[in-house]
Amino acid sequence: MSEPLRNRLKKLIVDTLRLDDVAPIDIPDDEPLFGSPRFGLDSIDALELVVRIEKEFGVKIGSSEESRRALASVATLAAYIESSRRANA
Amino acid sequence: MIPASAELLDIGIAAADAMTALGNARATAAALVENRLALRPQPVFGRDGGDPVPLAAIGQLDESLPPRWLPLARSFLAGIPAAEWGSGRLPVIVTSSNFGVGSLYAFVRDHDARHLEHGTPFAAVRLLRSTCGWGDNVTVFSHACVTAHLGLLHATRLLHAGLADRVLLVSFDFVSPFVAGGFHSLKILNSGMPAPYAKREIGSIGLGDGIAYAVLSREHAAFRITAQALHNEMFHFTSNEPTGAGFAACAAAVKFAVGGRRVWIKGHGTGTLEAGRLEAEVFSRAFPAAPLVSWKGSLGHTLGSCGLVELAIAIAALQANVIPGTVGTSGPCFTDTVALAPFHASMFDAAILTSNAFGGAHAAFVLTHD
Repeated sequence: MSEPLRNRLKKLIVDTLRLDDVAPIDIPDDEPLFGSPRFGLDSIDALELVVRIEKEFGVKIGSSEESRRALASVATLAAYIESSRRANA
Repeated sequence: MIPASAELLDIGIAAADAMTALGNARATAAALVENRLALRPQPVFGRDGGDPVPLAAIGQLDESLPPRWLPLARSFLAGIPAAEWGSGRLPVIVTSSNFGVGSLYAFVRDHDARHLEHGTPFAAVRLLRSTCGWGDNVTVFSHACVTAHLGLLHATRLLHAGLADRVLLVSFDFVSPFVAGGFHSLKILNSGMPAPYAKREIGSIGLGDGIAYAVLSREHAAFRITAQALHNEMFHFTSNEPTGAGFAACAAAVKFAVGGRRVWIKGHGTGTLEAGRLEAEVFSRAFPAAPLVSWKGSLGHTLGSCGLVELAIAIAALQANVIPGTVGTSGPCFTDTVALAPFHASMFDAAILTSNAFGGAHAAFVLTHD
C-alpha cells in the first residue's frame, strides 16, 4: 500500500473536514476515523469525505455500508481506492 | 431518555384516499397483495442521467413547467368530499417534506425564473389552495418523514379543543431529481432494490410519489385513530440511538393504548439496515404476536407523505380484509415477526402504523375499526 496515497488521504481528510487542530501527520494509519473520541467524525463528515474522494480519485462508493467499511481508517480507505483503481484499470 | 406518552384522543376518519405509482389506495392495496413492485431502476437525475436507482414516480421524473406534481395533485384532490374547506370551522392542514423543492433544482439547471413560482413551501401550498378553492384557514407542517403524523396530531387537537367541526388533512411528496440526488449522495439510495427488514449485507431504499388526504371528525366512523405518539430521541441527525431506545419509547407509548387488542403493525421499514433492524427488534419485543409489514419495498419511501399514504392503504386493505405482506423482501429477516405474505385482517382488532424521520423522530398511532 503506497505511503504517498495514505499521506494524500490524511491531508484530504484534514482539509475537507476542516480539522484545524489536527495535522495530517498526527493521523495514524489504523486509527478508527469514526466513533473515536479523538476525531469524532460522524455521518455528515462521511458524506463530505465520500463526495470529495469520489471526485478526486474517480472511484465510486456504492452504498452506505461500503462507505462505512472504506472509511474505517486511512489504511482501509487507501486499500479501497487502490483496489477500485485496479478493478477499473 | 424522557419516556414518550400517547395522546388518547379518539377521532374518526370520515374519508381517506391516496395515490401512489400503483394507483389509488384500493388499487395500491390490491397490487401490494399481488406483490407488485412500483419501483424500477431509473437514472437518479432523470433526463440528466446518473446512476440507476429504484424510483416509483408517476410519469417521468423530470422537472417541467408546471411541475409534474401539480396536475397530479389537482386531479387527485378533486376527489375530496365537498365542503367549505379552509373556512373557520373546517381547517385544512397541508403536510409535506419537500413541497416543490425540485423546481429550485430546475431553476439552477435551466435559469428559468418560472420554476421559482413552485419551488418554496409557501408557493406550493398557495398553488394547492387556489387549485382546490380552499379558504385562508390552512396550516402547514413539515418535519421530514413524520410530517403527516404531526398534521394528524394537530388535527386531533383542533377537534378535541372544539376549534373545528371537521379537518381536512392533505399530505404529499413527489420525487424529484433534487431529492433523489440527495439520498443518493448519502449512498442509501443506490443500485439495490429495497428489501425492508431483510438481514443482508447492503441496505438500500427506494423513493416513490405519494399524495393522500383524510377527512377527520369526532363523529362515529368505521375507522378511528385512538392513540398517537410522537417522540424525538435527539441522538443524531442521520442515525438512531444504537440501543433502539427511541423506537422503544414510541412502542411503549402505543402499547399502553393498545391494551388487550390483537394488532398487526405497518412499520416504517425503508430498507436501511440499522434502522430496520432496530425497528423490527424493538417492536418484536413489545408486540411478539403482531405481524410486522412494510410496503416501501414496492412503493418506495414517499417521505413526508408516507404516514397518511400508508394510512389510506391500510384502510383499503382492511376493507378488502387482506393485509399486504412485506413486498420486496424474501428473508431471512431481522425477526420472525416480519410477515412476508399477505394475511387476513379478520384475525386482528387494530393496527399500529409507524413512521420515523431524520433527526431521530419516531411516530406511531393506533388504528381501530368496527
